[in-house]
Amino acid sequence: MSQTITIDPVTRLEGHGKITIQLNAQGEVENAHFHVTQVRGFERFSEGRPYYEMPGLMARVCGICPVSHLIASARACEAIMSVRIPSTASRLRNMLNLAQMVQSHALSFFYLSSPDLLLGMESDPATRHIFGVTAARPELGRAGIGLRRFGQYIIELLAEKRIHPGWVVPGGVTEPLAPAKRDEILSMIPEAYTHIGLALDWYKKIADGFKAEIEVFANFPSLFMSLINEDESIEFNGGALRLIGPGGGIIDDGITAAKFTEVIGEAVEPYSYTKFAYYKPLGYPEGSYRVGPLARLNIVKSMGTPRADKELAEFKQLASGPVLSSFYYHHARLIEILYGIEKIEQILSDPLILDKQVRATAGVNRFEGAGQAEAPRGTLHHHYKVDENGKILWANLVIATGQNNNAMNRGILQAARQYVKEGKFTEGILNRVEAVVRTFDPCLSCSTHAFGQMPLALSLVSASGEVVDRVVR
Amino acid sequence: MNPPPALCLVLACGNTLRRDDGVGPWLAAWAKERFHANPSVRIVSRQQWTPELAEEIARAGAVVFIDCSVESPPGVMRFARIEPGRQTAALTAHHLGAAELLTLAKDLYGATPRKALQLTIGAGSLEMGEKFSEAAQAALPEACRLLEETLADLLAESVA
Repeated sequence: MSQTITIDPVTRLEGHGKITIQLNAQGEVENAHFHVTQVRGFERFSEGRPYYEMPGLMARVCGICPVSHLIASARACEAIMSVRIPSTASRLRNMLNLAQMVQSHALSFFYLSSPDLLLGMESDPATRHIFGVTAARPELGRAGIGLRRFGQYIIELLAEKRIHPGWVVPGGVTEPLAPAKRDEILSMIPEAYTHIGLALDWYKKIADGFKAEIEVFANFPSLFMSLINEDESIEFNGGALRLIGPGGGIIDDGITAAKFTEVIGEAVEPYSYTKFAYYKPLGYPEGSYRVGPLARLNIVKSMGTPRADKELAEFKQLASGPVLSSFYYHHARLIEILYGIEKIEQILSDPLILDKQVRATAGVNRFEGAGQAEAPRGTLHHHYKVDENGKILWANLVIATGQNNNAMNRGILQAARQYVKEGKFTEGILNRVEAVVRTFDPCLSCSTHAFGQMPLALSLVSASGEVVDRVVR
Repeated sequence: MNPPPALCLVLACGNTLRRDDGVGPWLAAWAKERFHANPSVRIVSRQQWTPELAEEIARAGAVVFIDCSVESPPGVMRFARIEPGRQTAALTAHHLGAAELLTLAKDLYGATPRKALQLTIGAGSLEMGEKFSEAAQAALPEACRLLEETLADLLAESVA
């Protein structure tokens, strides 16, 4: 008799999802799925709106990475306008995006995943949360909270609001950077370095204790994709996309936003509202790929900042080619936080960052435009079509979580097969399956938010639908 | 990154698009207007209370939390001292209660305000909308009066 294990909802994620694990008559894992159970309607209800409203509308998709949506959307609008924005505006946007990356990565690593890493995958779920971390290692809690505040405060300084900020508009940004704000951000940098230094040291000490998880946490050959600069350094706003194979060889390169839809397709599976992106020349699912911190660090040759470059060199020693285990998303995330702090410092050290020319203007010069950026969790693509008045006729968003969707599903299957035997499982085993998803830091919520209590219920259901066992926490 | 320590910190919480959940932000806006000239009072309004607020709480002389309540009858105002505490079943990374924030302030930064108070108004409706229920609306004048008095008292205690 076959059985299904259901984990609903998956905890410590951005948004609501569930996992089902199908067992055969012998109790061995046959298949596993990660279900995203929410519907996103943003593409549809943006139809009919003026194109220049799109960044503000699209920023509401997500409370964690609204800045990436702002930037990808503004870039799509600028393609419609056929304008090149002032270089100072471009660097200011980059700083805003990096601040968001720092706060989002801090949330993922410290708030959502460090309870597993510090307290253990099998530890008591009643204390396996950020409070448990702060009680056990206050300095780690302070580092995580401090880095999140660092990123959020920069966003608030530049764009007035830490969640759903404005400031980024088609053509640039609405106002230049004031010297007092620059000085205030620079004054925060030393403490941020201290926090990330502590976290990196700690992570490197404990990572070896997770060899078993590293082996089965979405550890398989795959393609990887991210933005990269012409000098092969990391890039979050400009550049073009590069796709590499499991051995590190370049599969495709120079993929601009305009070319994106020529090479990237989206498949649909019946068990999830999130689509599955793939590289068209290889088809689906063979063309599935991973994005985000692990992909970025696998693809780039340098970070372009001295401290992060040193960490990148160490990271590259983990494998002879691309680092394949998704457990290392955690490590990559910390290196990117360090990079973000360094890069913000670099950007602010250039006197031209105070330049007053930060916005270009134009009307509709093309009826179609696309923009892309690196969100904290991976490549983000916006694509719009407009009429002669600039009214949106059609919109499509390809988000990072969709691009990691196939790898997340393969990853939970890999882990479930390793840990669930003869139909037996414990809470700690299921937490490991959830932890595979957490390594990718998927963002499922988009515009929706938690409301009321969120119990976690684990059900063992027979093939006939009878609930054999149920655990609620 | 840190504003100067506030003698009195007001921390409001709520979603202005969910009817009575917006009473916290509404009272915060009222207090901001009323006390805008007083640098000893700092007013922060958030959709959710998150751990990043702990450091500012630790440095404040006194703190007043403002929120709506689903436990109190509609429109009923409650005002009480609040102590550090933990309600683990309700813990998330996105939202903490006042007691958990005080605990975080104590655990991480080694301090809590001399006095911590919480003002709540029972929610009559949390449906989509920006208009308060009649019960919540009726409670607001008394809530304003109480908040003004309390802040004045807390400031006087700080000076004394």
